[in-house]
Amino acid sequence: MLRYLKKYWFFALLAPVFMIGEVSMDLLQPRLMSIIVDEGVLGLSNHHIGDLDLVITTGLKMVGFVALGGFFGVMSGVFANLCGQNYGNDVRKDAFGRIMSLSFEQTDRFTTGSLITRVTNDVTQLQNLVTQCIRNFVRTFMLFAGGILSLVMLDLSFGAVVACALPLVILCAVFFLAKANPKFYILQDKLDRVNNVMQENVSGSRVVKAYVREGYERDRFETANDSLVGTQLDVLLLFSYMTPIMNMILNAAVVSVIKIGGIQVAAGAVTPGSVMAAITYISQILNAVMRMTMIFQTVSRGVASGRRIKEVLHCEPAIEDGGFSGTVSCRGQVEFRNVSFAYPDAEDQKVLDGISFTVAPGETFAIMGSTGCGKSSLVNLIPRFYDVTDGQVLVDDVDVREYPLRELRGKVAMALQKSEIFSDTIEENIRWGDPDASEEAVRQAARTAQAAEFIDQKEEGIKTRVTQGGTSLSGGQKQRIAIGRAVLKNAEILIFDDTTSALDLKTEARLYEALKRNCPNTTKIIIAQRIASVRDADRIAVLENGRIAACGSHEELLRTSAVYRDIYQSQMNG
Amino acid sequence: MAETKQDLNQYKIPGMRGPRNRQAVEKARDRKGTFRRLVLYFGHEKKRLLALLVCVVATVVAAVYTPRLQSQAIDSISQGRFSKLDRYLLLMLAFYGGQSLFTLFQGRLSALLSQSIVKRMRNDLFQKIVNLPIRYLDRHPHGDIMSRMTNDIENVSNTVSQSLSSLVSGCLTILGTVFMMFWLCPSLALLSCTTVILTVAATKFLSSAMRRFYRRRQELLGSLNSTVEEMVGGYRTVAAYSRESAVTEEFNRTSDDLTRVGIAAEILGGSMGPVMNVINNISFVIIAAFGGYFALKGSITIGTISAFIIYAKQFGRPIDELAQIYGQIQTAIAGAERVFAILDEPSEDKSGGENMDHARGVITFQNVNFSYEEGKPVLQDFNLTVEAGQKVALVGSTGSGKTTVVNLLMRFYDIDSGQILIDGVNIRDISCDELRHNTAIVLQDTVLFADTVENNLKYSGEGITDQEMEEAAGMCHCAGMIRRLPEGYRTVLSQGGGSLSQGQRQLLSIARAFLAKPRILILDEATSSVDTRTEKRIQDAMVKLMANRTSLIIAHRLSTIRDADRIVVMDRGRIVETGSHEQLLAAKGRYYELYMTQFAGQAT
Repeated sequence: MLRYLKKYWFFALLAPVFMIGEVSMDLLQPRLMSIIVDEGVLGLSNHHIGDLDLVITTGLKMVGFVALGGFFGVMSGVFANLCGQNYGNDVRKDAFGRIMSLSFEQTDRFTTGSLITRVTNDVTQLQNLVTQCIRNFVRTFMLFAGGILSLVMLDLSFGAVVACALPLVILCAVFFLAKANPKFYILQDKLDRVNNVMQENVSGSRVVKAYVREGYERDRFETANDSLVGTQLDVLLLFSYMTPIMNMILNAAVVSVIKIGGIQVAAGAVTPGSVMAAITYISQILNAVMRMTMIFQTVSRGVASGRRIKEVLHCEPAIEDGGFSGTVSCRGQVEFRNVSFAYPDAEDQKVLDGISFTVAPGETFAIMGSTGCGKSSLVNLIPRFYDVTDGQVLVDDVDVREYPLRELRGKVAMALQKSEIFSDTIEENIRWGDPDASEEAVRQAARTAQAAEFIDQKEEGIKTRVTQGGTSLSGGQKQRIAIGRAVLKNAEILIFDDTTSALDLKTEARLYEALKRNCPNTTKIIIAQRIASVRDADRIAVLENGRIAACGSHEELLRTSAVYRDIYQSQMNG
Repeated sequence: MAETKQDLNQYKIPGMRGPRNRQAVEKARDRKGTFRRLVLYFGHEKKRLLALLVCVVATVVAAVYTPRLQSQAIDSISQGRFSKLDRYLLLMLAFYGGQSLFTLFQGRLSALLSQSIVKRMRNDLFQKIVNLPIRYLDRHPHGDIMSRMTNDIENVSNTVSQSLSSLVSGCLTILGTVFMMFWLCPSLALLSCTTVILTVAATKFLSSAMRRFYRRRQELLGSLNSTVEEMVGGYRTVAAYSRESAVTEEFNRTSDDLTRVGIAAEILGGSMGPVMNVINNISFVIIAAFGGYFALKGSITIGTISAFIIYAKQFGRPIDELAQIYGQIQTAIAGAERVFAILDEPSEDKSGGENMDHARGVITFQNVNFSYEEGKPVLQDFNLTVEAGQKVALVGSTGSGKTTVVNLLMRFYDIDSGQILIDGVNIRDISCDELRHNTAIVLQDTVLFADTVENNLKYSGEGITDQEMEEAAGMCHCAGMIRRLPEGYRTVLSQGGGSLSQGQRQLLSIARAFLAKPRILILDEATSSVDTRTEKRIQDAMVKLMANRTSLIIAHRLSTIRDADRIVVMDRGRIVETGSHEQLLAAKGRYYELYMTQFAGQAT
């Protein structure tokens, strides 16, 4: 992750330099103060006669240093932010870009939720780490080291106090951090659980009510809540000891310094002014240690986040562009040659097993089969959402793995099983199919998809905004928008992955008719459950347990395939 | 300079909550009323709150008095009265000890207080939410309800447990410090107060400039997060349409904007520290210079200077803190107002005394009128009787009101006029729980919980044996699929059941409904993603299971409804046809048309 800093090395260097400036000014103050007291007021080296001029000149000097210190502080902040935030921005953009190049197999493995946290939360943590390190770490370390140095320079005996107090403070900090750190992970986990129960109940309220499980859910929530509150309380109570104990050590150190100072002053070894300075320094040192514990928290979280982001950044896209750049001999032909497929996380369970078929350009090819038999997996292989385990998928006589992805996916328009709708206008959602399409083209696509009717009923028509996830639309409406999007793309191959399941038969029939009229040369691959959806297809493939059990036209299949007849019976006979 | 105390007060436990000091301040609509109500709501915490305040006062007193002791100790050194030194030092130790002890109590009390508040508020709110009418949940964005549960409650609890004590301690510290300073040396006190003006002016200027940037940054962050959520969540579509680079470009634009605004905001925010540092150091200089001058004239001692240095620090901090606390309290009150708004919503009306112990399941809709929004009737003069043991199917296009019938029958919504009867009893007179206990529904959007398969199937209640569960799974053709899961029935489903296909999720929710042993079963597009052969087998099982019981089925697929005893064809909230499959075919009406599209296929 360090290489991202390279670009901002100048800022990364300037920020600590200015910080050193600021801290130096801070460290000078007590020294000047002790000069005012000892020489100006008490006149120790001048037979106890004070010197007002010295007081004033030193005072003015102090103001100058203070102003300078403030300026340095602000500048250090400017550079630290320029560095940290630009760094975070670069990492964020790269991580997002990388996610946008991963294959589904990889995003599946990360899970969507985890990817989202990595781009948002984890990047922020990492950014904090950088800003903290170049600014606060330097500041704290300087205050710490400078404090010790100044203190020892005042008088060695004060150093003894530090030598005693410091290990105690460090021990205390390490103890609390070690005890609390594992709890933070548990806490996050428990918080997730409370939120999950809540989320489930808000979105699944109908089921909860229908099964009269409000009481059960309340108990479930209270258990999760109790457990969260309990852990949170544990942590808070643990930390409630930390402040007073640290304070006590610090204050005991101050008392010791005064005591030792008293003895030393009596012996004539130090001046009262240096006792006062010593008190300031010792507060500074111990304070620095306590701040350090906070910084270590940020660092340890930042490092953990950095690791998570690195996993994304180092994830090489499993599906890469092929080098094919020649011309193809036909448009819209799909061929499966002895294809087998298993999902990468379950390699011993073959989803598809030795599938071979060819779909000719312009043909309508339907796929049927029982729940979970691999229909979606099959069509996912065409635009290379996944790669085959064995065999070959060819589009226009070229292996899909040889195409550049963009070119391959440009040939295929697919309406997915789960219609994904984005929070934008209906028009823009359809325009995803072709960003350059005119409004009229979008409307035409909506008409073909049988979406025009319900769109026109909306007050703002095609300009109606859709809520995130399309919750303001019904299932059938979402499907039709997704179909409109695919139609607008005007690709060689059109794939519907059970995208008409929520349409009534009439609408569906009109859709297919419109498709036939408006996209006659497009190869259509249609997954469906209803015989009515597929019966007009040129050929129908019946998938069973990952193999093609039968393939042919509706009439052929009725004659030759028992499975197809079975499906037909289940739908047609009364 | 004993700046440690204040620093430790600012010590936030990482991971517990976000940075509170940089939130955009919100204002409540009825600040006074909400505040009064909040006080009443925490009335029973009075003792703890009082004890907390006592601790705060004790800590402040110790913090204000110890510098005076320190100054006396230093004086005794500089004036050579070493014999007195030990007494002062012992006193100091005692005060510091007391201060630490009270800080400890304060920390523990505030922890207990905040957690007990969070717990109670969360439980109350959750209890309210599960009892809210569906109408409310249908109409309010779920994200908004969730954020009341998390952010708003957190804000309220933090304010009550921390900001309040900071407020009290801040005010007391200022008062005490001013008093001590004036008591020790009025003229030096006046001089050091000049920096207060500086502090106030700087805080005001910087924070108003900051607020603009922070608000803008918050907006950009929100839009960035929702872009990520949408595009990563909808990645399949992004990839299918090769929109990766366009999406990335848009993301990069937002990200760049965010960074620009973020840098400006953080530079301003980060300047606060150095600027305050400068102001503090200026007062340090004033005290050193003028104190030195006064000391030379003999009106004060060295020790007093040392005390003043500590006081000036103590004095400056709370002022800049108080401004933040004020903002926090306002935000918390606005949050409390939102939480109370939900708590004030009327709960679902579940009243009704009749039970359904001997119900046979005759459902009657009599002249039912209903609309979700006034002026847009969904059901109009709707009349339907379903005899006990019958299987009735509702057909019709989207928006014809089929699902509304289910909503009304389950009392998810109450009708506008007319009545719905079960065995002649108005469902408003039947207790809601009783009604729902006897009615099972399977919905279009399957809801599965992030729990084991077993707990999901047994959701309807206790007393379901494993054998019954396995039988139901067998009937719904999900037994094989469950067996293939890594831990069988004990497999925990991911939230929303993501690892299963839509069809498999539907099978599970049907099994769940079967296990509820309902008198009335409602399937609302429950098998839309299940292939027709599997569906057929489930239906055969249903015939056995629902013998003598009533079922209501909604579907697009004619194969799903063909076997029904009666088919009701709906259009725009009215019944247009009703009868058995054969009768309706013979009538050659709407249903016939629909049915024929199957055979005519795509060429209607």
